[in-house]
Amino acid sequence: MNRKTIIFIICLSLAVFSSLSSGQDLLINNGTVLTVTKGTILNGDVLILNGIIKKIGKDLKAPEGIKIVDATGKYVMPGIIDSHTHIALTGTNETGNAITPEVNMRDVLHAESTSIYTALSGGVTMVHTMHGSANPIGGENIVLKMKWGKTSEEMIVPEAYRTLKFALGENPKRANSFIIGTPRYPQSRMGVNAIIRREFLKAKNYMEQWDRYLKAKKSKKPAKNIIPLRKDLQMEQLADMMRGKMVARVHSYRADETLEFINLSKEFGFKIACFEHISEAFKITKELAKEGIGISIFLDSWAYKVEASEGIAYNAAYCTKKGILVSINSDSGERIRRLFNDAAKSMKYGDLSADEALKLITINPAIQLGVEKIAGSLEVGKHGDVAIFNEHPLSAYTVCQMTIIEGEIYFDRAQYLREREEMEKNKKEEEKKKGGKK
Amino acid sequence: MRTQKISFIVSALAAIFLLVLVSSARVGPTYAIVNCKIVPVSGSPVENGVIIIRDGLIESLGAQDKVAIPMDAEVIPADGLYAYPGLIDAHTNFFVEPPKEEPGQRTAAAMAAQPEEKNWAQDVNQMAFDLLKPKKTSVDSLHMAGVTTVLVAAEKGIYAGQGALLNVNGEKAEAMVLKNPVALHINFTTERGRYPSSLMGTVAFLRQSFLDASHYSTHKSLFASSSRGLKRPEYDPYLEALCPFAVEKKPVFFNCANLEDIKRASRLIREYKLKGFITGANEAWRVADVVKELGVPLLVSLDFKPPFTSIYVNQGEEMKKKAEEEIYPANAANLHKQGVRFALTSLGLKRSSDMVKNMQKAIKAGLPREEALKAMTIVPAQLLGVADILGSLEPGKIANIILTSGEIFGEKTKVERVFVDGISFKVKPPPKKAQPTTLNLTGKWKATISGPMGEMEGTLDIQQEANAISGTISSDMGQWDITDGVISGKELSFTISATIMDETIELVFSGTAEQDSLEGTISFEGGSAELKATRIPERSSQRRGL
Repeated sequence: MNRKTIIFIICLSLAVFSSLSSGQDLLINNGTVLTVTKGTILNGDVLILNGIIKKIGKDLKAPEGIKIVDATGKYVMPGIIDSHTHIALTGTNETGNAITPEVNMRDVLHAESTSIYTALSGGVTMVHTMHGSANPIGGENIVLKMKWGKTSEEMIVPEAYRTLKFALGENPKRANSFIIGTPRYPQSRMGVNAIIRREFLKAKNYMEQWDRYLKAKKSKKPAKNIIPLRKDLQMEQLADMMRGKMVARVHSYRADETLEFINLSKEFGFKIACFEHISEAFKITKELAKEGIGISIFLDSWAYKVEASEGIAYNAAYCTKKGILVSINSDSGERIRRLFNDAAKSMKYGDLSADEALKLITINPAIQLGVEKIAGSLEVGKHGDVAIFNEHPLSAYTVCQMTIIEGEIYFDRAQYLREREEMEKNKKEEEKKKGGKK
Repeated sequence: MRTQKISFIVSALAAIFLLVLVSSARVGPTYAIVNCKIVPVSGSPVENGVIIIRDGLIESLGAQDKVAIPMDAEVIPADGLYAYPGLIDAHTNFFVEPPKEEPGQRTAAAMAAQPEEKNWAQDVNQMAFDLLKPKKTSVDSLHMAGVTTVLVAAEKGIYAGQGALLNVNGEKAEAMVLKNPVALHINFTTERGRYPSSLMGTVAFLRQSFLDASHYSTHKSLFASSSRGLKRPEYDPYLEALCPFAVEKKPVFFNCANLEDIKRASRLIREYKLKGFITGANEAWRVADVVKELGVPLLVSLDFKPPFTSIYVNQGEEMKKKAEEEIYPANAANLHKQGVRFALTSLGLKRSSDMVKNMQKAIKAGLPREEALKAMTIVPAQLLGVADILGSLEPGKIANIILTSGEIFGEKTKVERVFVDGISFKVKPPPKKAQPTTLNLTGKWKATISGPMGEMEGTLDIQQEANAISGTISSDMGQWDITDGVISGKELSFTISATIMDETIELVFSGTAEQDSLEGTISFEGGSAELKATRIPERSSQRRGL
């Protein structure tokens, strides 16, 4: 089986799934339901109507004619959420400037990227797809549901926080960059901190100017010659940060500069939702817990560069126990289909319970993205975003069988395999025919 | 004695060229095209029709018994031929030669030492007209495809400058212009090594630019109305250049390579209330609802190559081929079915003949022939605001008419004759494909040109690379370039761009060559001459040099 054939089948399923979906009503029948937040129900059912979970329990009565998925012997869990990735985009970094809050990933969505289907095959229903880490202040990120075959607009999750990417350390100071071009400011950690501070000072000034301007215009006797202010898209974004309309997602490895950045956020009064990759989080758990800042990390990947050299596999479990909101992310279009494996490792390295481990890839990232009211666990009233596995999702032998978003089946492994087989058969027959002709 | 002779020949040749110039004035004589089937597009067809052309316009047209043939008209019998309005290609990069890049790439070190400031004003203000290099070969190939009007624009850059609408009536840029400039052309592309270096950067950059232009304009008009006590707006060439489009709402073409580009463009058009055009758009059928709702002019390319973002290009060669041969050619047909109005263009295609071939594919994929015809006549005329003068055969409109051997876009249909601004052009068959050659003509040649007025001597300096011939010819009248040269077997042809009294005239040579000799005919408008040349042995040329 070559790669092209696989992709071909994936693409074919675009058409197939639109016919497969029975609107947005679905009954998942007789599975082990791992709600993550409300315990586990053996031989449980999940009823989804109009894409929303209506009931969870045993022997549910479903409306007549509803589509039923038999989950006997299988495990039903909330759709997995990847808190940090870069899939389904045309371009990741705007490297032309060091400061680029004006760019928005919403403008470069790529709904036909096969990475969406790859994510589905690993039970992932939602991702936070982000600007890269080339710039101290990067662009605005976006949260998508993996609705393969739908338009990019239909994938956007409007309930999610607006988030802005920041990056500290080696990447923004271009330490590991081989890109030919202008060596740009900043080139050091102090420079990174200084340039971010400078921009926020500018934004503060910008906000004051606008306040003065609007006040002057509104006054009872407005002066005739008020020059309208220039709208600056960079400053608008940073102003939105300080107005609390947006939260920061900060690429950061080292403890020292992480603390520096927390100080910066206090100086300007903006909220940090999450530090990304932060391999030294275990050194500053007290500070992170006190500030209520989450972390989104790899489970057991470190030492791939100098600033990641002090990472440990116990980071996730240890920080969880210290009261920090931890999520496991993929940062990759390939690793994204094995997030449940990564979560399981937290049971080995640090003795998290199964539910705690599952939270790392479900409700925790949901809280980090501000979507915990609609996703992240199987609860009545939340979206019917579900992943079904043949074994317990934290088992090393588990394989995702089906991925459902808002009651609609977007990935069905059995059907995928059937089609793949059929297609290979057809191809062989065609080749035989061609061979015969020769 | 010898100098006398030369000066006689020089003045004689100059006289010929002047004659040629005068006779190629840009309005043709009065013509009566008789006995053709007229397809006016704006009305029903007329069998056995007559079209009278005078002063470059259609004077009258109709059935043979209803239209009188003027005494002074040259009668052109067109038995069995169809007369259509000349086709309008509403977006192409033909004729436009971008300025050559500076010799030698800037090294990384040089760029680091002195980062170059981007001159955006220059890009916005770049007029396609200033880059026009109309070539005879291109004119001929357009005529062969039935195209008489083109909207040309440069190809590259976020701002590809401003395009011009041209009548393909010869090779003189000024005489071709119908409308200049027409619109600003924007590509969703990136800058190399500076901001914006990514697509998202480009979109943000465009947003900020449109905002700035409108802010600049507000400040300026405020200052104009009451300057006292007001801070003077700082002059900004870039925003000055952008204001006509951002504020005065002159047309902006957004080149959309894929369906997401169409959505990007539609957002920008809406947000900044631009007079937008969507062009390229070979995935338009996939977002027909977006296009329909937006309701801006749509110029759909006949280039069927799927964009790299397409779901159809990652699935192996078979699927890619199917996409090119079946799926994308159905774009126009699908749009038509969904009630979307559009013009068809050749944007992205290298040759005019490809446009005709692809149009046939689009028709095969379900686009009705009469819709195809409208999409290259009356629709683009309306979208570009020139329907008063172009797009159909009606009295008073410009005499852009094509005579074809059969129904337009038919597989076997040939364009027999073309009228542009009432000037008649006979359509020539395409040049043959070059055959391999054993000759190498590189070197210096002693040439003798003998015309009706006498003989002239000159030196040919020829360079040959595979089948391509280039070089110069030097004589007492100056040094002229040899271009578009081809050696095919022993058949040699090339064009001499002769500059006489600041006018450039193309002299077309065709003949045969041996390793050390060549001969043939030079033809130009209004006459011809014989050219014979023999190779100058290398040693002797060196000696002469010393």
